[in-house]
Amino acid sequence: MSPGDKELASRLMGDMDPELLQFLKSYVTSFIKWDLMRFFHDNPYATDTAENIARFIGRDRETVADELAEMVESGVLQSHQVGDLIVYTLATDPHIRELMDRFVLACDDRQFRIKAIYHIIRGST
Amino acid sequence: MERVKTGIKGLDEMLGGGLLPQTANLVEGAPGTGKTILGMQFLYSGITQFNEPGLILTFEQDTQQYLHDAASFGWDLKRLQQEGALRIIRSSPEVTLADLEHVGGQIETAARQMGARRILVDSLSHFEHLASDPVAYRRLVYGFINGLKREGLTSILTRESPALLGEPSEDEEDIAFVVDAYILLRYVEIKSVIHRAVLVLKHRGSDHAKDIRRYEITDRGLVVRDKFEGQEGILSGTPRSMADFFDKAFLGERR
Repeated sequence: MSPGDKELASRLMGDMDPELLQFLKSYVTSFIKWDLMRFFHDNPYATDTAENIARFIGRDRETVADELAEMVESGVLQSHQVGDLIVYTLATDPHIRELMDRFVLACDDRQFRIKAIYHIIRGST
Repeated sequence: MERVKTGIKGLDEMLGGGLLPQTANLVEGAPGTGKTILGMQFLYSGITQFNEPGLILTFEQDTQQYLHDAASFGWDLKRLQQEGALRIIRSSPEVTLADLEHVGGQIETAARQMGARRILVDSLSHFEHLASDPVAYRRLVYGFINGLKREGLTSILTRESPALLGEPSEDEEDIAFVVDAYILLRYVEIKSVIHRAVLVLKHRGSDHAKDIRRYEITDRGLVVRDKFEGQEGILSGTPRSMADFFDKAFLGERR
């Protein structure tokens, strides 16, 4: 990131709730993860395979499987072996759940969304 | 005999007082007949009137959609879920079957933690793609139903009927053998007006109404009304009045 970009990013993120900014930086590092956050926020007791979750959010199965694995590693989700299947559920950590709720609700605000999109795009380059 | 009341005005009377505990009860109908509404009403009544927590197991619809649809009837499922009296589990048939076979699975754990007594499974139609033929399908549903009964749950299982009007096919009726009660919701056309009809086709171990009754979806949920008088062939979807039938049979086409 060039010094100019860093300055712009700093100005954009300056007025963001620090906890949400940290959540965004740590957990919402791609648009697929954003979709998955919304899916698990809307369906907090969802239990399903990567294939079915991918179908539900309308994304590629392999990409979703990779992102789900990363979310398990970061502690947002849990994975369980059920028979021959690996299924994913939301982590029980109440702090993570609360931050996720706040993030999804904050996304209703256009300005927040733009900042979050900017953050993901800049983070991926 | 102990009954699990649906809380739906008129339906409990048709069922001889309500459903029987720890039974699997199929509600079948075309899209828009109110199968899911009936199931949500069964759960909402269970929690708010009879202190019986419940689960919704959905294979298609988003959790938010249930909360939204229920709110339009004045049923605050969101609050009930926050209070721990309701849990909406979004999953798939293959995961659910594996889960029920597994000791300490999600449904078993949820049922025990919450003390759940009721469950809405929406819908059984999604199990069809897991079975290669009708026999395998029946066996699969039988295993699933027994898993729910083992957890002490009284279930409403919805099933879509592809035909908007008319009687179900033989394939559709096949599953009726493994359930304890079979409730049909049908559209009926009478004089160019569509009505809704409900029939309890089967209720194992209980007496039940044999007539076909009119029902409405009101702003407070389903309400079962009076029976269709003076009509025959209701299940065909296009009944004839008894007077017309008499005229045709005994006076011929001249009249």
